[in-house]
Amino acid sequence: MRLLLPPRVTEKSFHKALDAFASVVGKQWVLATDEDRETFMDFYAAGDADQHVPSAAVGPQSVEEVRAIVRIANEYKVPLWPVSRGKNLGYGAAAPCLTGTVVLDLGRMNKILDVNERFGYCLIEPGVGFFDLFDYLQANKIRLWMSVPANAWGSVAGNALERGYGYTPYGENTRNICGLEVVLPNGDLIRTGTGAMANSASWQLFKYGYGPSWDQLFVQSNFGVVTKMGLWLMPEPEATLGLNIQLPDPDDVGWAIDELAPLRMRGVIEQSPSIGNSLRFVATRSQRSEWYTGDGALPDDVLMEILKKNNLGWWTINLRLYGYDEVNQVHARIIKEAFARHTKQEMEVVKWHRGDPIENSGAGIPSTQVLQIINWRGGRGGHIGFSPVLPATSEHVLKQFRSTKKRYEEIGVDYYGSFTLFERYTTNVNMMVYDRDDKAMTSQVRALFKVLIADAAKQGYSEYRTHLSYMDDVALTFDFNNHALLRLNETLKDTLDPNGILAPGKQGIWPRALRTERA
Amino acid sequence: MSSEAEFHRPGRVRRLALLVVAVTYFGISGALVRAAENAAERILEGKKLFEGRCGFCHLPGGTGTIMLAGRLGKNRSLLAERTDLTAAYIRKVTRVGINGMPPHNRIELPDSELDLIVSYLTRPTSARTAEKAGSTGGAP
Repeated sequence: MRLLLPPRVTEKSFHKALDAFASVVGKQWVLATDEDRETFMDFYAAGDADQHVPSAAVGPQSVEEVRAIVRIANEYKVPLWPVSRGKNLGYGAAAPCLTGTVVLDLGRMNKILDVNERFGYCLIEPGVGFFDLFDYLQANKIRLWMSVPANAWGSVAGNALERGYGYTPYGENTRNICGLEVVLPNGDLIRTGTGAMANSASWQLFKYGYGPSWDQLFVQSNFGVVTKMGLWLMPEPEATLGLNIQLPDPDDVGWAIDELAPLRMRGVIEQSPSIGNSLRFVATRSQRSEWYTGDGALPDDVLMEILKKNNLGWWTINLRLYGYDEVNQVHARIIKEAFARHTKQEMEVVKWHRGDPIENSGAGIPSTQVLQIINWRGGRGGHIGFSPVLPATSEHVLKQFRSTKKRYEEIGVDYYGSFTLFERYTTNVNMMVYDRDDKAMTSQVRALFKVLIADAAKQGYSEYRTHLSYMDDVALTFDFNNHALLRLNETLKDTLDPNGILAPGKQGIWPRALRTERA
Repeated sequence: MSSEAEFHRPGRVRRLALLVVAVTYFGISGALVRAAENAAERILEGKKLFEGRCGFCHLPGGTGTIMLAGRLGKNRSLLAERTDLTAAYIRKVTRVGINGMPPHNRIELPDSELDLIVSYLTRPTSARTAEKAGSTGGAP
């Protein structure tokens, strides 16, 4: 990809900035060839990769180098897009929101600085991946479990900063953040929580500190570059007990949510079970063309035939109990009784005890196997997800499910959805899988995405996270008092980052000088 | 003295010649041995890097292996067992991506490390045979 400059920056000034970056990190770690730019673009993009083109990338190895880069960026007004490992697949990967932005790739800062088994936490740099931390815990026989997202190629810290989630009782990754070290847009360095004391004895233990608590202000934001993260890890339980069930009818998701939600809120179920339509299993194991070659969305009768052949229900629920065996047994009985009120089907039980092989434990074990779904449509695949948050009731879930499926059918995309149940809400991930070289298909996907944002907003549903191309659209759905929250975010942005150099446009937050770039 | 000197001269010359031959022989041989050891080390380093950086997708059971089995057949699904991959092809695919596999940039995988991985994936038959012998406890 040829060089596209950021707004406000001349080519001469841009190259001066790159030279200055190189004087900090070494020439090897400033990447600015046409091929380099390609490697930081959104590989899975649904036909809109050219909207988010990086101009270069710079890879620091230390906090001091990050601070120096940020100062240089201010001097030349060159915007930076910080990424931990750049594997935010389906959301834009390493690509920046604003074309011409330089990717600040923190992947070389990959030290596991501390793991404390007694108190269950780690202190890590942003480049530490899920596989790295898992290997470290295993190699050192540390009895702490991670919360791992479905695709675990990325960064542990990066995922928590994007509010990614896993499926253990510690599944809300952002909730486990306890103490950050952050380079501010002016190059200053802070530590949040009690880390603000130079000799803090509880940086990774007490989240709030004294006065305003800042951790969450650096989550899904462009107010700073996180260079260290404290993250709570789950003590290995004595046992786990998995319960799996297939539900045959699309409407079964309603009663399932109504039965599970109170149990989730009361702590009978401590993790976040996912109720997913079974196409997710079919799509990892086969291609659509093996079942159906017609245009438009996969017809219901074809789907039913596929599910029948694979002995799958319309929905699959996998939930798991963690803790003492006796307690798990009691909780399992309560859950089974709840399901027995609606179905005669038995739940499959999977038991694990400490010392058994970890594979069947329900621990967070990193894998990338979910990426196989992108093969579903053939060609060079890609995926994107629309994920609104709804109250965990059948009324909301059924309405949203039916209306979303109808939209998929109208526009001609195969429906692929799931509901992950948290304590009081459910996140409805609607996946769109496409052949990224098929222009008609990717334009359908983009149209569907826009319609789903508008539909959800009418119901009062917000997205929990979104792709680069929709950050402004989603931000604008937060419209109370004429977008007062956006005004606050941008007031803060202008105060902390007057030159507007950090991640312009992230989550719809634009610095004053670049607000004309808002989509 | 002179006769003694004369007597000894041819011998010294012979010894010197032998020394030169020996140095030359063992020097070249040493360089070859070192080169071979170096190549073996590079392959070993490349293997470690391949397993660490690529293994979660490209070892048995990995996503890449499964996807390649679907596309090219099981016998071409494990990259480490393939003999049809050229250095240029590996470099290109790694940098620009292919099908579902995203590209790998030069920060996460510098050229020097990619070169080692290439050394491993394109290692000669002798190295593959030695690996098999080692892994099965076969003949030395």
